[in-house]
Amino acid sequence: MNNEKIIEAKGIIKTYDDSGVPVQAVRGIDYTLTKGEFTAIIGPSGSGKTTFLNVITGLDTPTEGEVWLSGRLLSKMSGNELSDFRRDHIGFIFQAYNLFPVLTVEENVEYIMLLQGVPKEERHNRVMSMLEKVGLADYAQRLPSRLSGGQQQRVAVARAMVSKPSLVIADEPTANLDSKTSGALLDMMRQLNEDTGMTFLFSTHDEIVMRRAKKLVVLTDGKLDGNSPPEEYE
Amino acid sequence: MLSKLAWRNIFRQKRRTVLTLMTMTGGFVLSSLSIGWMNGSYSNIILFFTNSRTGQIQVHHEGYLADPSIYSTIDNFEQVGSILDSIPDVRSWAPRIYTGALLALKPAGHTSNVYSSSAAASVIGIDPAREQEATGFSDQIIEGEMLTSSDADTSLSSTGQILLGKELAITLEASPGDSLILLSQAANGVVADKRYVVVGIVSTGNTQIDRRTSYITLPDAQNLFALEGKAHEIAVLSSTLNEVDNLTAAISGRLSGRNLETDSWKVFAKEFYNGMKADESSLEVMIFIIVLVAAMGVLNTVLMMVLERRREFGVMKAMGTRPGFIVRMIMLEANIMGFISILLGSIISTAGLLLLSKHGIVMDPPLDYGGAVFREMVASISPDCYWIPAICVMLTATIVSCIPALNAAHTKPAKALRTV
Ligand SMILES: Nc1ncnc2c1ncn2[C@@H]1O[C@H](COP(=O)(O)OP(=O)(O)OP(=O)(O)O)[C@@H](O)[C@H]1O
Ligand SMILES: [Mg+2]
Repeated sequence: MNNEKIIEAKGIIKTYDDSGVPVQAVRGIDYTLTKGEFTAIIGPSGSGKTTFLNVITGLDTPTEGEVWLSGRLLSKMSGNELSDFRRDHIGFIFQAYNLFPVLTVEENVEYIMLLQGVPKEERHNRVMSMLEKVGLADYAQRLPSRLSGGQQQRVAVARAMVSKPSLVIADEPTANLDSKTSGALLDMMRQLNEDTGMTFLFSTHDEIVMRRAKKLVVLTDGKLDGNSPPEEYE
Repeated sequence: MLSKLAWRNIFRQKRRTVLTLMTMTGGFVLSSLSIGWMNGSYSNIILFFTNSRTGQIQVHHEGYLADPSIYSTIDNFEQVGSILDSIPDVRSWAPRIYTGALLALKPAGHTSNVYSSSAAASVIGIDPAREQEATGFSDQIIEGEMLTSSDADTSLSSTGQILLGKELAITLEASPGDSLILLSQAANGVVADKRYVVVGIVSTGNTQIDRRTSYITLPDAQNLFALEGKAHEIAVLSSTLNEVDNLTAAISGRLSGRNLETDSWKVFAKEFYNGMKADESSLEVMIFIIVLVAAMGVLNTVLMMVLERRREFGVMKAMGTRPGFIVRMIMLEANIMGFISILLGSIISTAGLLLLSKHGIVMDPPLDYGGAVFREMVASISPDCYWIPAICVMLTATIVSCIPALNAAHTKPAKALRTV
């Protein structure tokens, strides 16, 4: 495994102050994610996992600290640059699926490639082979509302990975899935990680995910407790 | 892609879309009908005013309008008339002589030179046949009858026919059948006096005019005031109101080199025209209010839509959608709805305008416009009824959607994603 740094975060502090009462969700984190990792950030509810993931991917701005994405300082990137960077390099999987309700399964998966301007035929081929992988090839023309939760999450996985991003960020991807579906989904992602070297970073409190992660990062109360291989944690 | 998303989003919240479409369509139809109805009323009033009195175009000797003098005449008016006859859009024309005189009444039955009352009056020489054709003059005669358009003896020793304005007749205590003496000065300086018999009473509806105006035949006036072959004014009736400016220019061109000036009603009836203009700006205010109300409705639904879909915009942004794409998508949605509203509105407006143009709105009490009374106002259909509301709808959709769109596009994805 090479040591190319995909994300490098230094001294990250995030304080929410929307409601007038400041809440420090992240309290000084230094973190480096290298290419090819398959890492799960674990920690109790409210420990700051979502906040941390948001900050290191530019979905939110840190109150203090610096984030480098593939060697580029995030705070120096313009809105469009950041959009384009996420479009081309990061795939997101959300806890609540967040598929576009007005688009069919195929169109949902196709979306990022449309933004990228991938030619129609290639788009179609890649969408179909991706749907094949997640076992939803027969559902291409359905609207998300007519799929089960597990099926929707599989579409979300397909959507996040079809454009071959170098990094996939998944915030509690299995929270709404049963254990069987969760396991299958994680096996599939792990397979992709092994085959293509695609980097994965999860947040979770799901044991199924933890067990399949190559590395666990523990977050408590807005701070990292240190890295450890899953065996040690168990 | 953009249009696919926009199009499908429109049909997502059907009830809200229907509400937005109704608001926009309603705004379109209301402004369209107001424009059609106002324009119809204007052209009615203008037509009535000009048709019954002034004509839409007048020809005078140069400078006559600014300084009406008995000497500023259109010489050889028949020749000018035949030129007018050769212009296709001229429907009819009527020559007139304007002078002033002292009228003194000699009650019927009295033979001696006893005059019971007198009044200063303006005397208009009219060609009864042409005047009738042009302005339907006899409609205004409320008592007695029209001047006879015969080549009757116009000599000073014979008795002429005269029509009196209603209030003038009251001042003079004159009624049809009475004789009076007209005293004035002719263009050649000679005293003009002649005996007349009152044949009828005229009511134009405008008491100012009727208080001081009397009418005799044109040949009579020409003879009496030593203006043979001349006239002060030729009133021209155009076949269409919309073409008046072009026709004015055409006539002016054909009459060039004769020291004549040709003006449209906008010039010679300036006050009346300005009154119309003022009404037009009240129409603008009305349309502005309609647009404002519709805009509030649309703004409301666009804001609701943006709030509801906040999470989705967050996902779009997280996935690498540029802010500009989101702005364009939301604005396109509003504009598509605007476009649909214009199509729907045009259909409804056309039906409404057709109905209003056939069955006008009855004015109760009737509208009195400078003496001209209107009982029923009808709409007229013109391109204005469509393109003005259409532009308003599109502008409204664009302006009203741009702020929520910018707002949606620039919220932090993290924040948007947290909203449920
Ligand atoms: N917008 C906000 N305003 C104020 N406080 C917030 C906001 N978002 C999160 N927090 C607080 O920040 C802390 C971290 O929240 P965060 O969502 O990052 O935790 P988490 O580890 O993802 O939790 P979970 O496992 O439940 O998803 C919590 O105490 C939460 O209440
Ligand atoms: Mg969370």
